[in-house]
Amino acid sequence: MNDHEKTLPEPRVWRSLDELHSDGPRDMRTDHEKTPGALLETHSLLGRRGFIQYTGATAAALGMSACIRRPVEQIMPYSRAPEYQVPGVPLHYATAVSHRGDAIGVLATQHDGRPTKLEGNPDHTGSRGALGLLQQQAIWDLYDPDRARVPAHREGDSLLDSSFEAFDEAFGALIATHAANAGRGLRVLTRGTTSPSFMRLREAAKARLPQLRFHTWDSVNEANVLAGAHLAYGQQLGTVVDYGASRVVLAIDSDFLGTEPGALRAARAFGPTRAIERPDQEMSRLYVVESTFSVTGGAADHRLRLAPSQIEGYLRALARTLQSKGGFDLGAIAPAIIAAPLDAFSAHSAWLNTVADDLLAHRGTAPVVLGSGHAPALHALVHAINVALGNVGRSVKYFAPVDAAATDPVADLKALVADIGSGAVQTVIVLGANPVYDAPADVDVRAAFGHEGLTLVHLSSHREETSELATWHVPEAHFLETWGDHRAIDGTVSPQQPLVAPLWGGRAPIELLARLAGEANWRSHYVVQQTFRSRFPAPGSFGREWRRTLHRGVVAGTGGVPVQPPLIQAPAIATALAQAGETAAEGIELVFLPDSRLFDGRYANNIWALELPDPMTKIVWDNAALMSPATAARLSVRNNDVMRVSVGDASIEIPAFVLPGHADDTFTLHLGWGRPSAGRYGAGKGFDLRPLRSSAHMHHVAGATVAKAGRTYNVVHTQEHGSMEGRPLALDATLEAWRADPRFAQFRSVDPTEGPLWQRQDYSTGHQWGMTIDLGSCTGCNACVIACQAENNIPVVGKAEVARGRQMSWMRIDRYFVGDENDPRVALSPVACQQCEEAPCENVCPVTATSHSPEGLNDMAYNRCVGTRYCANNCPYKVRRFNYLSWHEYLDGDPELIGGVPTLTPTYGNMPETRKMQYNPNVTVRMRGVMEKCSYCVQRIEAAKIATRRDDRDMRDGDIVTACQQTCPTGAISFGDLNDPRSNVARKVRLDRGYHLLAELGVHPRTTFLARIRNANPAMGTPAAAASEEAEG
Amino acid sequence: MQIFPRKLNLLPLVLGAAVFIAGGAVTFGVWYYFSPKNLQVGYAPQQPVPYSHRLHAGELGMDCRYCHANAERSYEAMVPPTQTCMGCHNIVRTDSARLEPVRQSWQTNDPIPWTRVHKLPDHVFFDHSVHLAAAVGCVTCHGRIDQMDVVRQDQPLSMAWCLDCHRDPGPNLRPRTETTNMQWQPDEAWTAHLDERVAALNPPSHCSGCHR
Repeated sequence: MNDHEKTLPEPRVWRSLDELHSDGPRDMRTDHEKTPGALLETHSLLGRRGFIQYTGATAAALGMSACIRRPVEQIMPYSRAPEYQVPGVPLHYATAVSHRGDAIGVLATQHDGRPTKLEGNPDHTGSRGALGLLQQQAIWDLYDPDRARVPAHREGDSLLDSSFEAFDEAFGALIATHAANAGRGLRVLTRGTTSPSFMRLREAAKARLPQLRFHTWDSVNEANVLAGAHLAYGQQLGTVVDYGASRVVLAIDSDFLGTEPGALRAARAFGPTRAIERPDQEMSRLYVVESTFSVTGGAADHRLRLAPSQIEGYLRALARTLQSKGGFDLGAIAPAIIAAPLDAFSAHSAWLNTVADDLLAHRGTAPVVLGSGHAPALHALVHAINVALGNVGRSVKYFAPVDAAATDPVADLKALVADIGSGAVQTVIVLGANPVYDAPADVDVRAAFGHEGLTLVHLSSHREETSELATWHVPEAHFLETWGDHRAIDGTVSPQQPLVAPLWGGRAPIELLARLAGEANWRSHYVVQQTFRSRFPAPGSFGREWRRTLHRGVVAGTGGVPVQPPLIQAPAIATALAQAGETAAEGIELVFLPDSRLFDGRYANNIWALELPDPMTKIVWDNAALMSPATAARLSVRNNDVMRVSVGDASIEIPAFVLPGHADDTFTLHLGWGRPSAGRYGAGKGFDLRPLRSSAHMHHVAGATVAKAGRTYNVVHTQEHGSMEGRPLALDATLEAWRADPRFAQFRSVDPTEGPLWQRQDYSTGHQWGMTIDLGSCTGCNACVIACQAENNIPVVGKAEVARGRQMSWMRIDRYFVGDENDPRVALSPVACQQCEEAPCENVCPVTATSHSPEGLNDMAYNRCVGTRYCANNCPYKVRRFNYLSWHEYLDGDPELIGGVPTLTPTYGNMPETRKMQYNPNVTVRMRGVMEKCSYCVQRIEAAKIATRRDDRDMRDGDIVTACQQTCPTGAISFGDLNDPRSNVARKVRLDRGYHLLAELGVHPRTTFLARIRNANPAMGTPAAAASEEAEG
Repeated sequence: MQIFPRKLNLLPLVLGAAVFIAGGAVTFGVWYYFSPKNLQVGYAPQQPVPYSHRLHAGELGMDCRYCHANAERSYEAMVPPTQTCMGCHNIVRTDSARLEPVRQSWQTNDPIPWTRVHKLPDHVFFDHSVHLAAAVGCVTCHGRIDQMDVVRQDQPLSMAWCLDCHRDPGPNLRPRTETTNMQWQPDEAWTAHLDERVAALNPPSHCSGCHR
């Protein structure tokens, strides 16, 4: 630029006349732009420009992050490596757990120090390799984030965190005080126990403190069963029915496959008697008389629904009918039952005469079993019937009692409360029990425990209802964290071996007892070893025998030897029967049953349990008043109507739910719900029944009045629909029909003869995985569903999301009602991915995230999935599950949401660290936006294949056991190589009752169902069966 | 009036071609250079202890499995516990300053925080034991560790790279006795029977072989 140019005036450049006539360049900005931040204030949080800016920056950042290296990761090897611990190789330990007066042997899997999965111990008679639902879900409790972590001490009205040191000191001082006065005023309230160490220490403590008294409390207990045996034989005896040796079983109000004591033991034995492979084989027959509709009722060949007050009459009438037949003599009991009225059962004469004939025709192998909710006198009568039928020693066996000092919990708790009221008690140590939540309504434990001057020490896993009144609360260690021992009902003794040190510290009941007994070393390890020392008396043998016992999980040579019971005490039974007698009352009868998932409430914070559908109603996250359709019609209530149920002055409100097949004029109510202090997940879920349950009526009560409360409550369940709509889904036939037409199942569910349009893949070589599910032995108990959840890191979504149909369990058990609405049969069908050879899901995936393996598996590559959900839409079995949200974190996002209040803005990332510790490291934890489904436990398949290659051997049948198959109590599931002609599954696939679900679609599923065979007694008449055959077409 | 010269009519064509070529170049660049082969290979982070594989495995001739003892038993080859180091180093070079972190770990029982070099994504379930059972040599994936003072990633460890071998494992197989031998070369006796070995092997190339 030169000087000349500089001097010339610059021509004005303008774009419009407005600009030209104004003073300067026109401000083109909008008002929003002139005021910084105005846009944000006037509009939403994020304006258009901001949105675009952030989006752009995010996209760029994401792009950059893909370029740079992944975050630095560190490897932390041990400084000193523990023996046997090979990083990456899971270890298995034998341990045991106690349930309802019996012990169950467990094999616990531990990955790099974290227990992740429980399975049954094949060497233990109580589990024989399987596990029930409650034991499967127990692993979650170990990692429950709401477990108490430190002892708490009462200061005024509140419990304040303290320390184990402070507790130990205070507890020591407390014991010292009572040691000085021989235990006067000291009471210990425990749960029923199966632990020899516990019993040893109890006696030692009594010897040291002569005035110390023990009390027992369990709201769900076996007192009637034990008292019945005692009444019948004049001594304590444990009763075990050997279902494996039974041909005809009559279960009277006894859910022996579900919630009754010894259910796992029973299911293990009963299952094989139902899974016959050829029509000419012998099959057991099950008669069930019950009021609710239990899984045992679902498994029955003939089922009679009766109100609980009629059960006693039925049992007496049956005894009378049996007595009237030849060759059956109840002896001195006969006069007591001769008066039994038969008129009430005139409509069910077959249920007396035909059943009696069938029982008599199978003497020795025809046990009669009675539910634990019925009076001891009736149990004694059942023992007498079993004796007269010759069952004792064959199908009914007696063993020495597990705990000879077991008492009646209700009387025991009442005595404790009375003594506290009289001021005779200064100190109560509660070991595990939670009576403030579950004591009968007429036993005011809350007032007693709040008694002036009472020192209450409460040992429990959570700070729960009883803890709130405690002077000291001590965290109880989980059974996987502490040593213990258990004696099974058949006498098998097992050590309870911990897999991990207490995550936050914790004490075992036997540790506090040992301190009471004055043991200097009260650590559970030492205490249990001391108990076992007497078993291995040979000098120098203890170390070896102890290690051998820990390895096997049972003490060699214990258990399985029944005792010969003494002569039956007929006069005593007759007297008791004369005094007993239900008085029928007007109104509704209520049945209180332990919940199949929460049991008595101790699993109330277990999210797996909370979201597990009830086996019959399929309700999740709640309990409800179950009633028959006829009763619902009579009361003109529908599902979700809240009912006010009153017994005397007490009443609760609970929603109604109609369960076909339920006894009329009877409500079933499940215990364990409505706990106010269960923890963050379970608190307040469901409805507490405590006000209705009195000490005289712990199991059922007559004369309840019900009224509509005038509001509704949303009960969520996973199966709206109970009908198969005429399609052949869960097939069954009577034994006779099967004999006449062996391949009926394949005729009803027909595989198409024509192939698909494309070339079918050749599956004739290599491993070809397949599964069979025997509907004959499946009881629908749900153990497989939880086993799958534990094995495959399956999340829980909460009640509100289940209501939207977003539950995630890979396995569901479809429950269909067949026949009459009021008295239907149940057909069950566990459905997981069928691994179709011509899988419809694969054809529609736009990114090939799901594709077929040469071994016949429908593989899912999670990281390819973009979440179109086409596959789920195209799946005829509806077994694909979509991660609409990041479910694993979702439940912990918003406290309100846990309660089922729908909100779309959960805060992620609050997931407790401990919950992550349960995850199986061999299965990907799926994230939001990904489809998932059953993989046939592909991680187990691959692990087995790797093992065979490592050991240079061929795959053997049984090398691969899927999680569902492993835990199935009745052994209904088989898995293996279809191309291996010797494999179990290859044999079962060819059974003539095998069929494919929705076979006509031609998708060639790899899962084969074996149609259920019902051993119906032709003499019973089969109206229900005939009706159903028509209905199913 | 003609404002723009006629030759500008070619502009859209030229622009289109330029965008196409530039776009293609960018795509190719990202696809090729942003791959593990270029971004992962050569990663050689500083370790807390200046441990030399060249010295131990190369010059001293220690077998890989002396320290990585679980390679044949577990999915993890395992970084050895401090115990293994101290087995020798409480006798050998007990006063070396470079071994101070090792001694410290031994005394305090705290782990030595090694930095991971060979990292697979979490959704890949790689198993060392089965690859050693199939007799793939250490050198195939890890390179000449015996010549590295600082361990460096030698292979991309990408899915395509895995599948190359799973689809044609022959060139990477060797006798089981030679898996840790870094210098082994196939001879004629070996190649003569290679086809049988490959046929018996049949490594998975379906999704669930590695993704579960």
